[in-house]
Amino acid sequence: MNDLIEVRDLSVHFEIRAKGIGGARRNLTAVDDVSLTAKRGQTLAIVGESGSGKTTLALAIARLASGKTTGEVRIDGKDVVSLTDGGLDWMRRKVQVIFQDPFSSLNPRQRAEDIVREPLDNLTTKTKAEKAEIVDRFFNAVGLRPEQKRLFPHQFSGGQRQRIGIARALSTQPEVIICDEPVSALDVAVQAQIINLLRRLQDEFGLTYLFISHDLGVVQHMCDSVAVMYMGKIVEHADRLQLFNDPQHPYTRALISAVPAVDPDLRNRGQKLALVGDPPNLLNLPKGCRFASRCPLAEPRCFETEPPLRVRVGGHRVACHLVDLGPEASAEAVSPSAPEFP
Amino acid sequence: MSFLLKVENLRIELRMRAGVAPVIDDLSFELAHGESISFVGESGCGKSMTALAIMGLLPEGIGRVASGKIWFDGEDLVAASPARLRHIRGNKIGMIFQEPMTSLNPVYSVGEQIAEVLREHQGLSRKAAWAEAIELLDAVRIPNPETRATAYPFEMSGGQRQRVMIAIALACKPKILIADEPTTALDVTVQAQIFDLLRDLRRQTGTSLIMITHDMGAVAEMAERMIVMYAGRKAEEGPVDKVIAHARHPYTQGLISCVPHLVAHLTEERQDLNEVPGIVPGLAEFGQGRCLFASRCARATERCLTTRPEEIAFSDVHRSACWHAEGM
Amino acid sequence: MTSKNETGPLNAPTLSKEKASSPLSEAWTKFRANHSAMVGLFVLVLIMLGAIVGPLLYPTDPFELVWRPFSPPGADGFLLGTDYIGRDLVAQMLVGARVSLVVGVAAAIVTILIGVAVGALAGFYRGWVEEILMRITEFFQVLPTLLFSMVIVALFGASLLMITLAIGIVSWPAVARITRAEFLRIRELEYVTASRAAGATPAKLMLKVILPNALPPIIVQAALMTGSAILFEAGLSFLGLTDPNVMSWGQIIGSNREFILQSAYTVTIPGIAIFVAVLAIALVGDGLNDALNPKLRQR
Repeated sequence: MNDLIEVRDLSVHFEIRAKGIGGARRNLTAVDDVSLTAKRGQTLAIVGESGSGKTTLALAIARLASGKTTGEVRIDGKDVVSLTDGGLDWMRRKVQVIFQDPFSSLNPRQRAEDIVREPLDNLTTKTKAEKAEIVDRFFNAVGLRPEQKRLFPHQFSGGQRQRIGIARALSTQPEVIICDEPVSALDVAVQAQIINLLRRLQDEFGLTYLFISHDLGVVQHMCDSVAVMYMGKIVEHADRLQLFNDPQHPYTRALISAVPAVDPDLRNRGQKLALVGDPPNLLNLPKGCRFASRCPLAEPRCFETEPPLRVRVGGHRVACHLVDLGPEASAEAVSPSAPEFP
Repeated sequence: MSFLLKVENLRIELRMRAGVAPVIDDLSFELAHGESISFVGESGCGKSMTALAIMGLLPEGIGRVASGKIWFDGEDLVAASPARLRHIRGNKIGMIFQEPMTSLNPVYSVGEQIAEVLREHQGLSRKAAWAEAIELLDAVRIPNPETRATAYPFEMSGGQRQRVMIAIALACKPKILIADEPTTALDVTVQAQIFDLLRDLRRQTGTSLIMITHDMGAVAEMAERMIVMYAGRKAEEGPVDKVIAHARHPYTQGLISCVPHLVAHLTEERQDLNEVPGIVPGLAEFGQGRCLFASRCARATERCLTTRPEEIAFSDVHRSACWHAEGM
Repeated sequence: MTSKNETGPLNAPTLSKEKASSPLSEAWTKFRANHSAMVGLFVLVLIMLGAIVGPLLYPTDPFELVWRPFSPPGADGFLLGTDYIGRDLVAQMLVGARVSLVVGVAAAIVTILIGVAVGALAGFYRGWVEEILMRITEFFQVLPTLLFSMVIVALFGASLLMITLAIGIVSWPAVARITRAEFLRIRELEYVTASRAAGATPAKLMLKVILPNALPPIIVQAALMTGSAILFEAGLSFLGLTDPNVMSWGQIIGSNREFILQSAYTVTIPGIAIFVAVLAIALVGDGLNDALNPKLRQR
């Protein structure tokens, strides 16, 4: 299979320093030994709640994280973690980002066309005319009108601003676009417009998306495969049907059952997996599984050793002691509710 | 049946540079004792303004009730004095907001903030108020309430802060609890906990709940009836199950179908989401004598552009303000 | 490949304001609506006109002894009278306006240049760069400003250049702190990350992305700085720390101060001029603050 993005043992550390000279320094590991792959032309969703490290992971893959990054990120086989100058420019042309907040992700002092052209100015040697032509093309591709090019960001609505951000990300004709919660700041009706646009653009330009989101409904609709993160770790990584129809990790199952459902079938399933308490402190992680303190199924061993990410049948990866891996072992044996997630 | 809250032909005007705009335009609804209703719509549709009007908290000098009545327990809140409204706010109607961090005072411990409300509105002694505050923290399921009562807001997680807000709102056993997007800033697993808590508290206390949200899923889980708002007007009103199963307003249909909801049985097949094109009109367009949704509506006809739709009743409980409601 | 339902209603809400309106032109619209700021601007323009054109229309040499000393305003045909050695006060005021304004503006520019450079580097690079630069800033901030500038002027001579530099050197820390705070705030915004993703170099990030957005409070500070520099120059002149061959408003006050009891007008007239000029500048600065403040700009 053709993997465009390969992440191996990626970690991002931040140094937290107490105020004042000689303040105590502590290490916060926002992304901890993460490995994942995304196939060319597909969408890999990274799902998690706040503090899970999903945005830091995405920024680290794009070489934009401010913390110290270790491990490997291969884009098209080339490791980008160690790139500098010219190599970094190559990578930036190939990997672009769409940001969450359309109100802060556009420079208020630039006109729309200058915003879309910025990556071309910095990363390419194209002539003025070529750049103008590209800007026009992508302005049209995202559904903006040419006469809006001269306007400033505050003259657009939230959805239109997000379109400008998308056009900017497209301008260098990248292969990978990292979408960091691209619709979560938008009104529901506008969300649908942007989601449909992103899917159309993916088809048209053969894009590979790394789609960061906390909204499982959007993820279910957008993705081809999913990685679920909890406290800096990937707890489950599977393709779309496996993950949503047969979730294995208790956290994934809790996450899915926590979503308020319109579908009465889902709502009346009556066996919600409710979580208690809050996530632990990243600066002071407990021994064993990071999820154990909130897990309704936790056993003594969960508090002792940290479960590794193991491969199950069909390439389904799970980091949980309680999940059986074998093809003969039926899912019921480990997860009582699994049959209800056919 | 007597209603706890009855809003009649409410019109709220906002003063803007270019004149006044009816941010709420001829809104009527009722809330029964112990009932739970939801206001749904995109931002800028007047959901929060309705809540603020009931609370008597319209932005001073900018917003005012231009006409209409808000009957609460037989008393017209529009005509009530500021002192009376303050009393009602503290004792009869409680409210929780979207951002629990900014609604708590950062320099007092959460216990003190709850106790303060109890002393002011129930005249409890310092000691009794503190004890009651700990009870309340326990009731909203904060672990170790005795120690957590001394914690400051910044020491708590977002979910815990929202629990504290709920404790404060419930301190005086209000008859109505208004929740304005109470879980929008929270993670989905925490949201589920807060919803559970609100459901249980309602069962125990019999409080009526008005929840304002943009999330159809939340409506389906939390409310018995829903009111869909668009551009300051009521678009549709009815029992949640009925409206979701068979919406009688194109805007409601759009709101439901434009969101990728989780489905129980996922298949390979994926269709494009239904789009509601465009955005909510600006305040300047509110109040015009036509259907304000027409510009975004696939069913719009000449009549929609010239005449404001009247409410059509489909049963005593289900109403829609759309000229094409019957054909849907 | 625009789908058909997007072209119509989607764009309708913005049709009414299709003309590009830059943040600056919007700020000017807001500024114009502010009456006290416009009065300040009007007064300031009058003073500047007087300073530029005045001496041409009224060519009397401000240093020439034209009449007897202490001739009160209006008497003997001298509109503002004469000073303690019989020089024409009108000529002095017009030429003095030039010097006072030039010193004010020049000192403000020096202040901004040093302050923005230090603040921008500290706020952008953080770490040890910030530590060192902010310690230096604090050092300059705790220096007694008047005393320090007196020392500079005393050591290097009382030329206009030295006075301007002295005012700039004692005033920049406030600008540095404001600039650093703005940089710290803006560098965390998504559009800065977006520019990094678009391959912007550090220099470009600092000068083209962050600085333009950090300018509003700096511009306001520059306006206020001009006012206080005029006051500062007057103070130094009053103390005699000035070039006696250059006429400024402060210089008029300083040279006449011994005779304040017998001819108060020689001190009062330049005093009022300084007051009015500084007030006008403050009004303009306040108007700029309102017009450029993004929190107030919304609707």
